[in-house]
Parts: sequence; structure tokens; C-alpha cells
Amino acid sequence: MKTYARCLLAGLLVVSLAGICLAEETLKQYGDIKGRTYHEDLYVEKMCDGCHTSNDPTLFPPDDCCLECHDQEELVDATAREGDDIWQNPHNNLHYGMDIPCMECHGEHSRREPLCADCHNFSYPKHNK
Amino acid sequence: MVQKKEYKKGRRKFLIGMGTAGVAAITVPMTAIAGGKKLVWDKEYEIVIIGSGFAGLAAAIEAKRKGAKDVVVFEKMPMFGGNSAVNGGLYAAPNTPLQKKEGVKDSPETMLKDQMKSGRGVADRDLLLHIARHAGEALQMTLDAGAEFLPYLQQLGGHSVPRTYQTTVACGAGIVQPLVKECRKLGAKLVNRSKLEQLLQDDTGKVVGVTLRQGYYFGYNQPGKLVNVRAQRGVIIATGGFAQNIGLRQAQDPTLTAEVGCTNPKGATGEALLEMLQKGAVPVHLAYIQSGPWASPDEGGFGYVSNYSIYNFPHSIAVNCRTGQRFMNEIADRKTRADAELACRDAEGKPLPPIMITSYKHAKKHPNCKKVLRYGVGWKFESLKAIAKKFNIPLNALEKQVEQYNGYVRTGKDEQFGKPMEKAKGKYLEAPFTVVRLWPKVHYCQGGVKINTRAEVISVNTWEPIKGLLAAGEVTGGIHGVSRLGSCSIPECMVMGITAARTLMKG
Repeated sequence: MKTYARCLLAGLLVVSLAGICLAEETLKQYGDIKGRTYHEDLYVEKMCDGCHTSNDPTLFPPDDCCLECHDQEELVDATAREGDDIWQNPHNNLHYGMDIPCMECHGEHSRREPLCADCHNFSYPKHNK
Repeated sequence: MVQKKEYKKGRRKFLIGMGTAGVAAITVPMTAIAGGKKLVWDKEYEIVIIGSGFAGLAAAIEAKRKGAKDVVVFEKMPMFGGNSAVNGGLYAAPNTPLQKKEGVKDSPETMLKDQMKSGRGVADRDLLLHIARHAGEALQMTLDAGAEFLPYLQQLGGHSVPRTYQTTVACGAGIVQPLVKECRKLGAKLVNRSKLEQLLQDDTGKVVGVTLRQGYYFGYNQPGKLVNVRAQRGVIIATGGFAQNIGLRQAQDPTLTAEVGCTNPKGATGEALLEMLQKGAVPVHLAYIQSGPWASPDEGGFGYVSNYSIYNFPHSIAVNCRTGQRFMNEIADRKTRADAELACRDAEGKPLPPIMITSYKHAKKHPNCKKVLRYGVGWKFESLKAIAKKFNIPLNALEKQVEQYNGYVRTGKDEQFGKPMEKAKGKYLEAPFTVVRLWPKVHYCQGGVKINTRAEVISVNTWEPIKGLLAAGEVTGGIHGVSRLGSCSIPECMVMGITAARTLMKG
């Protein structure tokens, strides 16, 4: 019985590690700045002004910048949770609804923890830190 | 699996081509500001509200309902709601429909009496009575906007009767989100990342507008842009407390070091309070800073445990792990309990967080119980022996204590600490149990600027209201005295926000 329990635990560990690995490494060095691999062509083409709409790329882009390309409703659907966890959807959550600017949880040039982690121990295995 | 969506490169390039053509130039009048300086206004509104918590949103809604043409709410942080979006969503009011249903006899005067006691004699009688008398009406504003509440009342620490509503989501966001929607529906404008830099006064001392830093990214070194905004009728400051400003809170109370946790979001740093003081507002009770005795050292911020404990304290015991015995009335006021918890130390004087023991069958009635267990910030045990083992508690003493306490449940009289046992009637401590650890977190600033019952900020120079300057909610001071009773902040914020709007609309 004990061996069975141990196997089960080991199995669970493997599954949970696999869960953690779902989020692949997407932060890569492009020239002198880090960026996300899925935005690679912006770096290859040196299109800083693709997001930094002011002339100064050291100024943060506007909050709605990401939503020019990414569809908010699709994001809400992609991270939807059910039952008791319905309000843990980071893109439509209990505290702020759909009003959290993307950069509060997502860093284009640096790692960022989900905002929820300030107070909760939720697991977001798909979140690219 | 998530479907990865290709971003629309073409769309992005098109937008780049547009540049900043979308931004319109504004024609601006000039105004003489105190000291003879001329000022260019970048924007103009009838009413300007700083802060988007309960008080700011209630003020915006009431101003619109009273016919204000344009109302704007500026928020420093990226998200709206501030501390109002992350608290317990507990709302005390006297003479409510739920009290009628549950047969509870109450009145504004009874609520005032409870609050004066917790305030240790230095609370503001006029303001508390004004709030208690309008709390039901303000509750209705939240209901009209779509807030939903649990179908039963709770009796929180220091309250003589059950009079506390709680949102079904057990969070203030259950009120903030509907209020935000209501603001948008009524056409009140909400603008984030806008920090108050300065109140602008004319030659008579009247507050006629504000300088804001827009494009303000809290916690990042971003310059933003200074913008002068004119407020035709006046400015309402509703920016909350300063529990996250460690320097400021420690200057008032040296025990509140950086090591003490805090339930507030990081933006609760009090700059607008300091700006009002610079303009001559009367400071009141700044050193009365309250810690929440229901918080857990096992999670950040307000987390899940806070509400779980608030609900369960009436039928639970709090136990000092070193002695295995109770050490407080579990529903005493917050200060009494926080002080008692902080005194729980190991042999070397280091903090030894006490535990709260609840019968699982009672604990599970609160929606947070599941979450507390699931996220490992609370634990279920089959016996007292298992609890004693996990927390290194003397088992004999613990067993004796539980037996003794169950006697108090039977007789309805707590011989140890005088805890009111009405809400514990029939609720014996029986296995299985759930346990959480307790350690106070800085929660609420009783202090702030002095206001009158019209929400006008009082001047140290004239002892009259500073014209055009109103304040509501936690940024104001003296209302609750030494220690605020739980669930009395939301009604205060709502009522005083509404009051501020009415004062400005009356002109």
C-alpha cells in the first residue's frame, strides 16, 4: 500500500512538473535588449515604435497598445476557469474585471509575476514569466 | 491548450503610420492662481474626483444623478478600486431588510454606541451618526448598481448585534465592479495612471483645480506629463489611507516597521493626504493605524484567510501555541485582538503566530473555506492530537481548553474572556477541525484630514471649510477614533462620497 502511495506521489510530481513546463521560455536577447520570441520580427526589423508610440522608446507604451493586435475577448476565453475558480481568470477576474493593463502581469523586456501573486498562491502554468 | 493567435502585423504598421494625429489640441483659458501666477488649463470638468475606491465612485455616481454634466475620477494606479477592490466587502448598517428578516433590533444610535466604545471615547459622534443614518440609503446605491450580498448577517467584533452584510464574492470588488459599471453607464469618466501632484488655489484660497501627473506608472521611473485640470465646482479627495507608506506610518507608530505585513495594495501611500495638509487641512489622529487581527502570515495582503477568520471567529477559539490556551475574546474589537496576538511569542520573544480552531462543519459554510484549504493557508485535522502535533502545542492543555470552551457554548457565558456567545449557540468545537494561523497586518488608517458632516475639509488657518476642497473615506480622520469597527469603513466611504457630491451640487 505504501509503495502504491509513493508511486502515486511520484506520478503527481511528474504531472505537476509537466504543468510548470507548459510555459516555455519566451524571453530572448535581441541585440542589446531582451524581448519575447513571439514578437521576434519587431526586433529583427527594429520596430520599437510598433509599441512605443512616442518618439522616446524609454517611455512605456499606452495601456491599450497590446490590444491593437491581441483580441481581449479571445484572451478572456483562452484563460477561462470554471466553477469555484471562475473569478480567477486573470483576463476577467474578481477584483478588476477586464480592466488590468497587460503590463501589470506581462513583461515584454523583462520577467514579471502575475499580479495575483501579491496576495494569492494561484497557479498559472501557462503564464510566460 | 491555449490557441496562440498571430498578432496582426499589418494593423500595427498602419497605426504607426498614424502617429499622434489622434490627439486633439485643446483651447485653454487662463486663470490667476494664488501668488499672482497665471496658469494654463489643459482640461476642465464640473467635478474632479481623486481616487477610485468606494468613496470616489459613490461621489461620481451621486454627482451624475444630481445633474453634473461632466465628472471625472482620476486614479493613480493602473487599476481602479484601490483598497476597496481587495478588502472583505463587509458592510454594516442599522435597520436593514436583513435585520428585519432575522429579527434583530437595531438603530443608528446603537451602532454609534458600539463605535464610540471601540473608538475609546475619541471618535467623531456627529460624523458617525450622519453615516449610520445614511448607511441604508448608500447600501441601496450598491444594490441598484448590481452588487449582490450573502443572504445572512454577520456579527463582527465589537458590534452588539448582527448588522453586517457581505458581498457574495466576499470582497469589496463585489461593490466596486458594479459601481465602476454604473459610473461608465452614467458617463462619469474614469482615468487611470494619473497622480495628484498639487491642489491649485485661487487668490481667495478656493481650490479651483489640480495638477496631475498623467501617464504615471507606479513603481517605475517614468516621468509622465504634468496636466492642469480645472474643477468648476470643486475637488473631492478620496484617495484612501497610507498603510503602505512605511516611512509615514512608522513616523506615526514606530512599531509598524517594514517587517509588519499590510493588507492594502501597494498604492496606499497617502500623497494626496500630505498635499491637503500642505494646503492647511487639519490633521487628526494620524497615529491611530489599525492592524487586522484576522490576517494570516501564510499569504500576502488580505488574501483568503482574513474573511474566513472574520466569519468564523464568533464560533471558534484562538489558541496560543505555547500554552495551548485561549488568550483573547475572539470577537473583541480589532485593536484588542491585534495587541493580544502580537503578545504571542516563543521563549526567545520571537513571533509565534497563534492558531484559530474551528469545527469544519461550521467553517465550511463560508465560501472562503474551500479556498483556504486548497491553497495551503489553512489545514483540516481529524483530532486535537493532530493539531497539537503540527503546531507543537501542549496537548493536555489544548484538550482541557476545548472542553472548557464547549462548556461556555452550553451555558452561553464565556468565563475566560467575556466573549458574546449568542452567535456560538449550539456550535460546539468538534472534530474534524480546520485551523489557520493568525498574525496582524496593517489594515486601516483611522487618521487623516478633518471634515465636517458636509464632507468639507477644515482649515487650520480659519477653522472654516477650505472652499472647493472636499474629502471622503479613509483619507479623512478622526471619525472612528482609536480603533474602527469592522465593516464600518465601506458605509463611511459610500455615505461620505455621496455627501461630498451633494455638497458640491448644492453649490
